[in-house]
Amino acid sequence: MMERENGNRFVMPAVVLLSLVTIYPILSVLYLSLQRRLPIFDVSKFTGLDNYRFLLTDDRFWNALRNTVYFAATSVTLELLFGLVIALLLNRSFRLKGVVTALVLIPWAVPTVVSARMWEWMYNTDFGILNYLLGMKINWLGSPFWALNAAVFMDVWKTMPFVVILLLAGLKMIPRQIYQAARIDGAGAWSIFMKITLPLLMPVILVVLIFRTLDALRIFDAVYVLTGGGPANTTETLSIYAYKVLFQTLQFGYGSTLSVVVFLCTGSLSVLYMRLLRAEGSR
Amino acid sequence: MRSDKIEKSRTVLGKTIAVLALLTMILAFLCGLGCTSDREQHGASGTTIVFKHGKIAGNPKPFRDLLDRFERENPGITVKDETLPASTDEQHQFYAINLDSKSNDFDVLSLDVIWVPEFARAGWLRDVTRVLAEGEQNAFFPGPVQAVTQDGRLFAVPWYIDAGLLYYRTDLLKKYNRSAPKTWQELVKTAQEITEKEPNLYGFIWQGKQYEGLVCNVLEFIWSDGGGVLENSRPVIDSPPNIEALQFMRDLIVKWHITPSLVLTAIEEPTRHIFGSGRALFMRNWPYAWSVFRSEDSAVRGKVGVAELPSFPGHVSAPALGGWQLGVNRFSLHPEEAEKLIRFLTSLSVQKTLALTVGYKPTRKALYKDPDLLREQPFVGSLYSIFMRARPRPVTPYYMMITQVLQPEFSAAVAGIKTPEAALGSAQRQVEQILGEKL
Repeated sequence: MMERENGNRFVMPAVVLLSLVTIYPILSVLYLSLQRRLPIFDVSKFTGLDNYRFLLTDDRFWNALRNTVYFAATSVTLELLFGLVIALLLNRSFRLKGVVTALVLIPWAVPTVVSARMWEWMYNTDFGILNYLLGMKINWLGSPFWALNAAVFMDVWKTMPFVVILLLAGLKMIPRQIYQAARIDGAGAWSIFMKITLPLLMPVILVVLIFRTLDALRIFDAVYVLTGGGPANTTETLSIYAYKVLFQTLQFGYGSTLSVVVFLCTGSLSVLYMRLLRAEGSR
Repeated sequence: MRSDKIEKSRTVLGKTIAVLALLTMILAFLCGLGCTSDREQHGASGTTIVFKHGKIAGNPKPFRDLLDRFERENPGITVKDETLPASTDEQHQFYAINLDSKSNDFDVLSLDVIWVPEFARAGWLRDVTRVLAEGEQNAFFPGPVQAVTQDGRLFAVPWYIDAGLLYYRTDLLKKYNRSAPKTWQELVKTAQEITEKEPNLYGFIWQGKQYEGLVCNVLEFIWSDGGGVLENSRPVIDSPPNIEALQFMRDLIVKWHITPSLVLTAIEEPTRHIFGSGRALFMRNWPYAWSVFRSEDSAVRGKVGVAELPSFPGHVSAPALGGWQLGVNRFSLHPEEAEKLIRFLTSLSVQKTLALTVGYKPTRKALYKDPDLLREQPFVGSLYSIFMRARPRPVTPYYMMITQVLQPEFSAAVAGIKTPEAALGSAQRQVEQILGEKL
């Protein structure tokens, strides 16, 4: 009993600090999202769920939601697939392994805005290196079909190293003896991968998925710099739309509503992942 | 053996962290040194006013010299000038957040021409009508004055001006015996003729990415066809001339093939690069590009001409107005001193110095006949008639909301995702909704 009370006392500072820096802003955004607040016209009134009702009929919101989900699903899937392959390769021993590992990590070290600008030039129809190498004249960022995929591709390039590092750490934790035993029992490479590597790597994969999906659902900077949401909003994500409503048209109420939706998406997904992770841990 | 390895990797990790921490500290220290401004120790008594502005083009020294001159001429006033992030969107965001919370951390602010009605309506700007003497407004170009005026009162003073121009290659037009086009149709014809014979040459490039610059580009076509966005505060976006003009822009790409589809991702700089490397015959851009083309290492040095943007037959050219204005923060504790600074910075002599040193185009008409300026930059003289015609984008506090509707719809039309009718119809409905809402 005593110990528990002491424990409570010790975590108090952390609780206070956390509520100050996270819970207070979250609550105030929630409150703002229930208001009609336009500082330009001196409007500030409580409107209940009006903003959320408007959300349901707002085509631009649904378009942004679709783009965001597409972006998150494709980019995270590709990052995981490529990341796993590269991590498996790097887990073997070969000459120049240090050099290769360092090369793989570079994209992660480049600041997002810098890499977005870099890709903007590489995607350039006229003097971009991509079209030069392909010998084509594809308008990567100007065509509604390519633009969002181009953003996905940039994100895969940029964040795959992060996935590789985590997976590599996971692979290193699998005891070598298990592999040796499997080989003695006559298991082939494929069944070793399916029956040993993958199951033992599952907790790490889940962690990777949590981090990456949450990041991808909130995607803002990379796409904003690359396309600004265009052409015709075909690359506008929820965060970009929220930014424009909040800071360009200064509709603080509705902008907050959009932010709350982003928060709900990421929040519910992380709860789901946490459940999965716990189930995985108790197995 | 194994624990040895772990031990070793642990010390390596520890060392790395220590080195990183040290580097961070050194960096922080250096930053601290660099950022402590020497202006802090300036002027023991008197008032200090803070002037927020975007990055001054080129060398910042002449600009600071001007502020020093102001301090000498006005003993007791110290001016602290603070540069905002380069992106216009971020500047708008900075002002909105700070002014909404009634900040008095800055006194004078530089404003993009499209923000003034919005900020004035929000009550963030002080009425500065009296900064200019009776009738002095007439000394300025009409476009900027219209953009800063609400109900007959001035909420900012025009500082420097910008407008859309047509750049063309004098050498190529001469070679094929053509002159700068007066109508858009002429431009198409000339561009088609010359690009047929010149390999690797684009006919006409402009800015088509989804952003504010696209709105300027489209409005120039729309206005020069007799169209518009608002008429007596009512939206007239889906009008026939607007549809015709927007269709014309799409046709430049897909029908007449004089505009490459790369303009759909282009802002000012990429188009300036293409034209500057000699790969385009015509380009729509702002006046800043001129001085770049004039530099020693420019591939088009001496081969560039500037003209008024063309129009549709029977209408007049209508360049979009850009540029920056100076206003006073309504919550400023030193409004008198702030007004003095604005009067100084927008005065004839300071505008002249700024034109000569950093190339800011004056908002005062008289300077376009100034012999010193014309001797240094003969090009400036030819801008006079263009600036006289420069038209502000819709002057309304709703502009930032309207442009958020126009940008994606215009983008959809020029990229061929929607027909001009559909895009403009949708924009019309959305703007009606914005303006019709009871606040």
